[in-house]
Amino acid sequence: MPDLVTTFEQNALAAAAGVWRCERSPLAVRKAVERAAADARGIVLCDAEFLPPPLLAGLRGLAGVIPRPEDEQLATADVGVSEAFAGVASTGSVCVAMGRPLVAATSLLMPLHIVLLPAERIVERPRDLFDPKCLKGEGLRRNLIFITGPSATADMGPLVLGVHGPHRLHILLLE
Amino acid sequence: MADANLRPAPVQGPRALANKSDRGNLLRAIRMALDIESPAVRLNTQTFNSNRYRATALLPDYDGLKDEARRIKEKSIASLPELVQTLKSSIRSRGGHVCVANSAEDACRYILDVCRWRGAKLVVKGKSITSEEIRLNPVLEAEGIEVVESDLAEFILQVADEQPSHIIAPAVHYSRERITELFKRKFQTKVPLDSGEALTKFARDLLREKFLYADVGITGANLLAADTGTLMQVESEGNIRMASFLPPVHIAVAGVEKIIPTRREMVPFLELLAASGTGQNLAAYTSFLSPPLEDPPFALPGKALKPREFHLVLVDNGRMQMREDSVLRETLYCIRCSACLNSCANFQTVGGHAFGGETYSGGIGGAWEAGTGKLENARFSELCTGCSRCVNQCPVRIDIPWLNENLGERLNHAAEASPLGNMLGAASGTAPNDRSSSVSKIFFGNYHYFAKWGSRLAPVSNAIAGTKRGRLAMEHWFGLDRRRTLAPFPKETLVQAARKLEVKEQKSPSAKVVLFAEVFTNYGAVARGLATLKILRALGANVVLSEALPEGRAALSQGMIATAKSQARRAAAELEPYVHGGRDVVVIEPSSLAMFRRDFDHLLDNKILFQILRASSFEPVEYVVKLLAKTGREPRSVFDIGRSPVGRRLFFHAHCQQKTIGSALPTEALLRQVGFDVTTSNVECCGMAGSFGYKKDFYELSMAVGADLFAQAAKKEKDSAPRALIASGTSCTEQLQAGMKRPVMHPVELLAAILKS
Repeated sequence: MPDLVTTFEQNALAAAAGVWRCERSPLAVRKAVERAAADARGIVLCDAEFLPPPLLAGLRGLAGVIPRPEDEQLATADVGVSEAFAGVASTGSVCVAMGRPLVAATSLLMPLHIVLLPAERIVERPRDLFDPKCLKGEGLRRNLIFITGPSATADMGPLVLGVHGPHRLHILLLE
Repeated sequence: MADANLRPAPVQGPRALANKSDRGNLLRAIRMALDIESPAVRLNTQTFNSNRYRATALLPDYDGLKDEARRIKEKSIASLPELVQTLKSSIRSRGGHVCVANSAEDACRYILDVCRWRGAKLVVKGKSITSEEIRLNPVLEAEGIEVVESDLAEFILQVADEQPSHIIAPAVHYSRERITELFKRKFQTKVPLDSGEALTKFARDLLREKFLYADVGITGANLLAADTGTLMQVESEGNIRMASFLPPVHIAVAGVEKIIPTRREMVPFLELLAASGTGQNLAAYTSFLSPPLEDPPFALPGKALKPREFHLVLVDNGRMQMREDSVLRETLYCIRCSACLNSCANFQTVGGHAFGGETYSGGIGGAWEAGTGKLENARFSELCTGCSRCVNQCPVRIDIPWLNENLGERLNHAAEASPLGNMLGAASGTAPNDRSSSVSKIFFGNYHYFAKWGSRLAPVSNAIAGTKRGRLAMEHWFGLDRRRTLAPFPKETLVQAARKLEVKEQKSPSAKVVLFAEVFTNYGAVARGLATLKILRALGANVVLSEALPEGRAALSQGMIATAKSQARRAAAELEPYVHGGRDVVVIEPSSLAMFRRDFDHLLDNKILFQILRASSFEPVEYVVKLLAKTGREPRSVFDIGRSPVGRRLFFHAHCQQKTIGSALPTEALLRQVGFDVTTSNVECCGMAGSFGYKKDFYELSMAVGADLFAQAAKKEKDSAPRALIASGTSCTEQLQAGMKRPVMHPVELLAAILKS
């Protein structure tokens, strides 16, 4: 039996997401985001809720980061960075919890969505997040979105990745 | 001026043919779909279908999830009025608004009022089939509000002015090439638009502007949780998220049947819906939102900042009445996944513009159209052949063929009886209230009666049926297509032939069997019956034959349920003493066997007798496998492949209903154990489906469905030598013979031929 992290990785890749394992240090996170968002003109960050804030502190200094984005800038930015509430191994999904400022926008409006996922928040199946004992039962109370790969359509004939939502989903798996 | 008569008749588009209360529309729509839409529908639905098989196989507790989902839906519909109240207070306590709309008009009026009140000029919509049902767009547009469909499939339909052809992929009938042609024509653009990517980018750029400036977003919901006011929304494109999040006002439109008690109970549906629908582990986005959202609404310069507002419009529109209807109530369990559409051979071939009405399509579509509109609109449910391939695919275990058989009955009863129908009905023993069915239905539904007389009058009956004039008459009166070959009626039926056989007395038989003399074998395929007797007796079984009786399959397939019930009762009464005497029932024709295993549950009041018959009835090869195991004999000690009259290479096509009841695999396995090189078809149904393909109105469709099977049979031979064609069903045999122009053998005939003496 492969472990949860490996299963997650395989299924996320199968759903056309990109997965990069990343060391849990401010420097490593900064480097990983910098690499993923290379050439970005506008990067929008949202604050940490589940990860320690210092881990993301380095991101503020990246070129292209918009400090306090207006809605107009959200509409034209090209990278959104948010953190995941959880990951789901069996489907390769990241689950994002709504509520904090910019979470909805960064996970939806920009062509590239970079999402930080702590490995210990990976559960086996989607249903686990509806268990009151799992992650303090928060999954039952929050507005949640299971995101499985980039937005996609088969309506125009062949499968096309990238429709209204992000064209690329880039998962930074924090070990 | 050119003579109007010389101009070719205009081809009627899907919209003009959507209303199937006129049967002519059904036939014209089939032709239109075969001519234009079939290739795209086939490719897309068959891709969904194979993906579904893969995805559901990956769910370790697939059957458990189905049971759980079914339980939750049953419970929810039972307590629906209370759930509506709970949901109302949950949403109101969060600051949202709820409207319970009795009719489509009420729902549209409420939405229009909200839009007017908020001064809305631009509305963006996420995909919502329920909004199609209530015909929302024209109502808003008449008030000068711009309505933009943002799901790309719905966008295509809006541009083309067509109704959905599929419940989750509404433009499933459009190939990439046809979309390119449509967009170029409608948008007068010079952009090449010659790839899926280019088309998607074109539509996305156009729609992104609309999202950013929309005043109101309208979406549907896949499920609603009463306790928390949570909406579950499933999508791939992100447009539903946008429509729920970007505009200040979000209106969700949902059928009232979407409510379940708690958010926690959404769990089994989460994986089931994605796996059963598009065949994914999960769609790109599955949202659980309890609106109104906390996030401030999106405000671009020039757009006034307004507070968030949420309205839920719960649509009744006939659903509460469906709840009171013992048959249509099942429809309310539907979670609109589309598995029944994608697993249906007829649907795969014509799609929902033929096999569908104004809004809903496919196997479950007829019941939705009848329940939310008029019964007559469900006339397309005639395209459900009862093949039952959808039955095991439905995540909430709805017996969809049974729904359609009931719609058939209601349509039969709503018709005027004809003198000929009355006469034939009385002669053939059709139940009095089924005699208003069409003459064609009375003929096909009482095939046993005509077969009995055909066989009594053979060879005269065969001579008449063999003449051109005879066939024209049958086509005219019974709708029996003259292009179909008819197997001659035997002078001697199976029951008569079996009486003449010498049977050795067995002191201790390996098993006691009654071979049910169903219509198709008794009057059509006597050789199969004799082969079965020969094998079972060679294996030491004591076999007797039942009286020749219809078990109700033919009548049921024509919606003649009262007739089917009385035939089922009689067949069950005939078999009951045999079964109590310790005999197993062997039934050669799979559609007949499926009656004992499945349909009798609906037809017999005596449920214990149904359970007994279900447990003791077998397909012949299935029974041979059981006997071999019981007597501890190796297949090769009984059968010698060296004697095969058709070589070692086989192409085996199992019957649709045989696959549903799980009795196809034993044949495949035994043939392999005996030493045959077996390849199998993987089509859902051959297209003949009992009497369906014999009907003049459906001949072309039936052959178009069969084309997949013929192509598979031909492909399996491409590599080297030919393969002998083997099929387990009577009508599959006819279909395969018609398509391949070669004889087809039944597995028992092959096995009887290679029996060691």
